[in-house]
Amino acid sequence: MGGKMIVDNKRRKEFDVILLGIVLIIFLIGILAIYSATQAKNLPRAESYVARQAAWLAIGLVFLVAATKISYQKFIDLSYILYMVNIVLLVLVLVLGHVRLGAQRWFTIGNFAFQPSEFMKLTLVLALAAYVGQRKGAMDTLGSLVVPCIVVFVPFTLVLMQPDLGTALLLVPIFLSIILVGGARLKYIVWMIASGILSAPFFWHALRDYQKQRLLVFINPNIDPLGAGYTIIQSKIAIGSGGLLGKGWLNGTQNQLNFIPERHTDFIFSVIGEEWGFFGALALVLLYYLIIQRAFNIANLTSDRYGKCIATGIAMLLSLQVIINIAMTMGMMPVVGIPLPLVSYGGSSLLATLVAIGLLLNVGMRRSTF
Amino acid sequence: MRDRALAAIMSALFILLAAGLFYNQILRYGYYSRLSRNNSIRVMPIDGPRGTIFDRAGRPLVTNRLSFDVAIVYQEIGDRRKLARLLNDVLGMSGGEIMEALEKAAARSYGPVVIAADIGKEHALALEEASFDTGGLVIETRAKRDYMYRMFGSHLFGYLGEITADELEALKEYGYRMKDLVGRGGVEKQYERYLRGSDGGTQVEVDSRGRQMRVLGVKEPIAGQDLYLTIDASLQLTADKLLGDHKGAVVVMDPRSGEVLALASHPSFDPNIFIRPDMSEGRLKLLNDKSGRPMSNRAISGVYAPGSVFKIVTASAALENRKISRYSRFFCGGSFRLGNATFDCWKQEGHGWQTITDALMNSCNVYFYNTGKILGVDQLEAYAWLFGFGKSSGIDLPDEVKGIVPGRAWKKARRKGAWYEGETINYAIGQGYLLVTPLQVLDMTAVMANKGSLVRPRIVKRIGTAEVPADTPKAIGLGAGTVREVRDGLFEVINNENGTGKRAKIAGAAIAGKTGTAQNPQGRTHAWFCGFAPFADPKICLVVFLEHGGKGGVEPAEIARGIFEEAKRKGYL
Repeated sequence: MGGKMIVDNKRRKEFDVILLGIVLIIFLIGILAIYSATQAKNLPRAESYVARQAAWLAIGLVFLVAATKISYQKFIDLSYILYMVNIVLLVLVLVLGHVRLGAQRWFTIGNFAFQPSEFMKLTLVLALAAYVGQRKGAMDTLGSLVVPCIVVFVPFTLVLMQPDLGTALLLVPIFLSIILVGGARLKYIVWMIASGILSAPFFWHALRDYQKQRLLVFINPNIDPLGAGYTIIQSKIAIGSGGLLGKGWLNGTQNQLNFIPERHTDFIFSVIGEEWGFFGALALVLLYYLIIQRAFNIANLTSDRYGKCIATGIAMLLSLQVIINIAMTMGMMPVVGIPLPLVSYGGSSLLATLVAIGLLLNVGMRRSTF
Repeated sequence: MRDRALAAIMSALFILLAAGLFYNQILRYGYYSRLSRNNSIRVMPIDGPRGTIFDRAGRPLVTNRLSFDVAIVYQEIGDRRKLARLLNDVLGMSGGEIMEALEKAAARSYGPVVIAADIGKEHALALEEASFDTGGLVIETRAKRDYMYRMFGSHLFGYLGEITADELEALKEYGYRMKDLVGRGGVEKQYERYLRGSDGGTQVEVDSRGRQMRVLGVKEPIAGQDLYLTIDASLQLTADKLLGDHKGAVVVMDPRSGEVLALASHPSFDPNIFIRPDMSEGRLKLLNDKSGRPMSNRAISGVYAPGSVFKIVTASAALENRKISRYSRFFCGGSFRLGNATFDCWKQEGHGWQTITDALMNSCNVYFYNTGKILGVDQLEAYAWLFGFGKSSGIDLPDEVKGIVPGRAWKKARRKGAWYEGETINYAIGQGYLLVTPLQVLDMTAVMANKGSLVRPRIVKRIGTAEVPADTPKAIGLGAGTVREVRDGLFEVINNENGTGKRAKIAGAAIAGKTGTAQNPQGRTHAWFCGFAPFADPKICLVVFLEHGGKGGVEPAEIARGIFEEAKRKGYL
């Protein structure tokens, strides 16, 4: 009885309230930006976007708290099942997606769109952590890398077929970071990266025309001034014209004049950059940086291999999404469909991010009991 | 250790992000601020023209012409009064219209807003010259689809319509944008992906007075691919002219290759009115015409009772099953009794003793009632499928329907009942539940022309520089004797002085064929004629169908004669 009390007290102390606070601040910034972006779009009701996103936050927070209540070891136990379920959902999306032309990445359940690839990032982290944790120190042989490679290759291929190049490519560094922390030999990891780069021309042929176009546009935005190139140029103008202090909330001219497509989802950062200026944008980047530093800290302080792998995977997941998305809006990276975590409009992304943060808190709370 | 390294790499990347922000928002602030303040990026699309459609000899059928649109860039108007006077002088726009146009342009003040479409070359030149004084006026040239033959061949070509919201959602990854025109029927729809050009455009930076400062980027438009049809323009014109005010369809085909030489369906429509914005009234009238249904391609989308032309199938099935031979005779006294029911021949006084040749020539119903009775429904159904009924012919046109080939299983499933022998009797002369398209009747005719081989009809011969391969006709398993007997009968239909189709006869070519007069619940009989020529080695086969057109041996046979004569003039026969 007394022992349990001590553990509980300890847990409460270790629950990272600051991290959760930062998450909520970032979300609030996102809500303001979504309102600004959607009310300019002359959509029937901008409030409905905000209300929906808030509803998703409420649901997400319930999941977040739930994810901290059960020991993360339970998630590890369930990881393969979650992984398989997610794979099945990805296959289903592909099958149903073929009914319509073009890309289909989500199911619609009632009024809400559900996007399995968003959750795949997380279930992949869990599955890899389960495998690597189980192997104890024996990750240094080439043979021990076979299973992790298959585990990443299956969802990679399925997501690529959707086709969602950005999310598929995101899975690769997550995978590499977990086996790196898990103790795989550096030599093998370097080999994998090298062979990945060498096989790039092969993958180039597998890409759809518009995906090739986007990569080419990144190299030279001017080859497609009407399509993807237009978005990049307009997004850069939006961010650049924000200057030091920004044009003020609801006052971004690029934003209000409908110059930027998809600006409430993938290009939301251009709205923030334009309306809040260098200070605002930098503050947001710093807030993300704080979360990510805390995540890496948790990973560093956790001696348990399972927990360490989970924390590392989630830290990488969050930081890469933030870096890729923001770099993309500034034309520093190709336009790939990666949302800005906690800020971009979209339930699946928000929910997956909040569950990921719940798991991170979970690892942080329980690490000392081991 | 290793997790620390990862954290360090991520930190470095975050510093890069901050540096990017600093570069864009502080160092390049002046540049971006100016671009944003003037809204000074203007996108000017350049259309990728749609491919031209040619006939088999390379004569243009559907082309593009230049049209001139007047657009206003509201921000750049220098002198409003001068501009208003100019629009009034050249285009005859009233004060109210000009006010409305200016309001429209003000709503999107930074870009060109079209205020008058397709104004004609002289007006465009006059405006272009004067626009230096007024400012804010832009003449945009666009390629517009031009259906040169207007009402002729329109079901074949189809038309264009603005992309719908759903289509846009599905197709936007393929470069479609709002207001794009997509093929809506005929070849335009079927070959949309080849015909469609891909739009290009230039993105230019303009100063506050609208002068172009520099070009930021150019994307060259790509023209769509040209199509070469199997159609012969002169035969098509003949078919359309002969159909005239009739409701119905004419299809002409080379039976050896399935190449369709002409395909007409009437009432027709002028595809050009779907492009001209000022003709929405005409469009509505077309779409709401429920009795004429001018938008429907009767040759492939209309189903009708075939009537006596189906006797070709009945005769083939019975000969092939050895239920009759060339020597079999049945007596026609003007009617046929089955139990308590009486089935009439069309000739009240009867045809007397008939062989298969006589029965085809006279289109004697009683002969085929007898044949149908001994043959049975299952064989009739099997041979109807074999001749291509009940399924799509595979022609490369959209919206082809399959029709109905009834049988015992069909009746059980659809009508919840058993098959009656009386229905078999009607089936044998092409009446009852059986429903076919004119194209299917043509394909059946081609089997006889080809001496037993079914062919897939086709419309497009060549896409760009690539030939579209033709299928070779496939034998459906008829014996040589069967083919000879039926063909001999079809020869007599035209060439015997008592033949029902003798009006189709022309000098200098041996024709064979079959007439049909189909009763239907909607009113006057449908009239059919199908035939081929030259008899020994057919190069042309055709079907003429007139909805509620009376007797097959009269007008349809005469229309067929006109087409055979034109085909002869053009060297096909």
